[in-house]
Amino acid sequence: MADALERVTNLVALLMEARSPLTQDQIIHELAGQYPAGDAAQRGAFERDKAMLREIGVPLESEVLGGNDAGRTAYRIDRARYELADLQLAPDEQAALQLAVAAARLADAQFGLLKLGGDRSSAPVVVANIPDLPALPAIREASAARAQVVFGYHGSLRRLYPYALLLRERYWYVIGLDVDRDEVRTYRVDRLEGELAVGEAAAFERPVDFDPRSTFPTDPKLLGDEPAARAEVLIDEPRAAAIALELGDAALISQRPDGSIVVEVPCANIDAFRSWLFGIGEYAEVLAPAEVRAGVVAWLQAMAGAR
Amino acid sequence: MTGRRGPRPTSDRLRRLLVMLPWLMEHGEVTVDEMCDRFELTEAELVKDLELAAMCGLPPFVDEMVDVFIDEGRVYAGVPRLFTRPLRLTAPEGFALLAAARVAMQLPGADVDGALARALQKLAAVLGDDAVVMETPQPLAAAMVVDAAQRSARLHITYWSPAADQRTERDITPRRVFFDGGYWYVIADDHRSGEERTFRIDRIEQCELTGVIDEPREVEVPRADTWFADDELPAAVLRVPASGGWVAERYPTRSVQQDGDGWRIEVTVASERWLRDLLLRLGAEAHVVEPAEWVNLGATAAAEVLRRYS
Repeated sequence: MADALERVTNLVALLMEARSPLTQDQIIHELAGQYPAGDAAQRGAFERDKAMLREIGVPLESEVLGGNDAGRTAYRIDRARYELADLQLAPDEQAALQLAVAAARLADAQFGLLKLGGDRSSAPVVVANIPDLPALPAIREASAARAQVVFGYHGSLRRLYPYALLLRERYWYVIGLDVDRDEVRTYRVDRLEGELAVGEAAAFERPVDFDPRSTFPTDPKLLGDEPAARAEVLIDEPRAAAIALELGDAALISQRPDGSIVVEVPCANIDAFRSWLFGIGEYAEVLAPAEVRAGVVAWLQAMAGAR
Repeated sequence: MTGRRGPRPTSDRLRRLLVMLPWLMEHGEVTVDEMCDRFELTEAELVKDLELAAMCGLPPFVDEMVDVFIDEGRVYAGVPRLFTRPLRLTAPEGFALLAAARVAMQLPGADVDGALARALQKLAAVLGDDAVVMETPQPLAAAMVVDAAQRSARLHITYWSPAADQRTERDITPRRVFFDGGYWYVIADDHRSGEERTFRIDRIEQCELTGVIDEPREVEVPRADTWFADDELPAAVLRVPASGGWVAERYPTRSVQQDGDGWRIEVTVASERWLRDLLLRLGAEAHVVEPAEWVNLGATAAAEVLRRYS
């Protein structure tokens, strides 16, 4: 039996050169002696080959035949889709891209550069560690193709038209139109749950000049499902000036004679709200709403009692 | 790729072969050494894969066979017929190339109208019109620090250390500049301590050239999340529930281990105040394992804040 690399290389050549799609039987016949004997072993090996081709990005297409072969699946590789388009990079553009790839230190970028004919370069003085997440490439492709994505988030399924991806500080966010809520929403990509499903291309139009930076809530406390929720928080004098500066005039509800202030703060994202609140330690006190205040008290009591 | 052990998966070999063959067809004749270096293979691996490729194609037509042979350290390719172009970029390759180019456009000293911008445009034209924005801050001192790193120039800086809550002045020789987790850092020879130190560039409040040029020296940049900026600081071991895993994403850690359904994380403690606030945010399910002096820190802090609500 042939080496698996030889067989699968021949399979690519066969499916690219074939004039019409080939069924599994036809493929095994053409590649005589390269698949193991026996139906089950053949089917298993063929399935593994197909999975391998898809894994490395070979555009393997399948169709169910009609007529005499009704119900059978046939396979082909469209040469035009298989082949890398020639980017026609000028030498200086190639060199600049090589430097960028060396600086970013992403293995996939280095391999992509090989395909483009670039050389490896040694790492430059300035380098960047870019957070890498498995879902990012598929979301980027869906965004470029204007395809809907479906994913789990906080335990429920979200359908999103992904307008954009944003790297801010150390997190990647996907920003788009939440189809069920009919609102532009922001989701942290590392918090997506389960498999990401990508729909048909050309499902939506991205608003002209959409800029993720301007729609992204500048305040992480706004991230969440009820962007309108607000809490009233009393800030003591020692920290009042700094907090007033951080939140801006619009958040200021009142100023007290002792120098303390009451501010209005988004609290839809309760984790982010608590983080902000406890960053001010004993100088901050939640006044309202009652359930947020009670939640903070319960949180602290559980901690104090855990001693 | 380097440091790889054991048999190579067929998918890796195929992925590489589908890039090697078109490249070889285009070049016609190259040395084995050059190919090994370029494709990060040992000579034995390269020879094995090319010999196999030479048996590939669609018999019985001779002109549809891959025509490659190796002789005396050189690789020769015949008339290209099959595999004349590399396999298209996969989604991860496309994403990574664009990400690399986009972040490089924002590196201190990048030429935003130059060759890289043109390369990025060509890439984006092939890979589709997405909207990916990578924000990197541009601290004031960055340009001068990068310039100094490129020519081993010694700088005099004023640096604010939040842990010690104080400013210090010192001379440093920048070696490498890197971006990680939203901040720019510089690895430098610190002439005050006589050691290599890592500084956050946005905490460099003042910066000037001393006129001294030091010998060039290579330093390694740590991979993401494998380092911490201030290694003279104390550490604490925390036990956090699964929901507290963000601590390891957000802060410098010395070790992270799965512990039942949660995590055991050793964090660098910038200051007791910082650890106290962190514990308040983590809540009752998290606690300090060691050192002993901080085991009760969370409960004490919670009781203090709780007094406001009584």
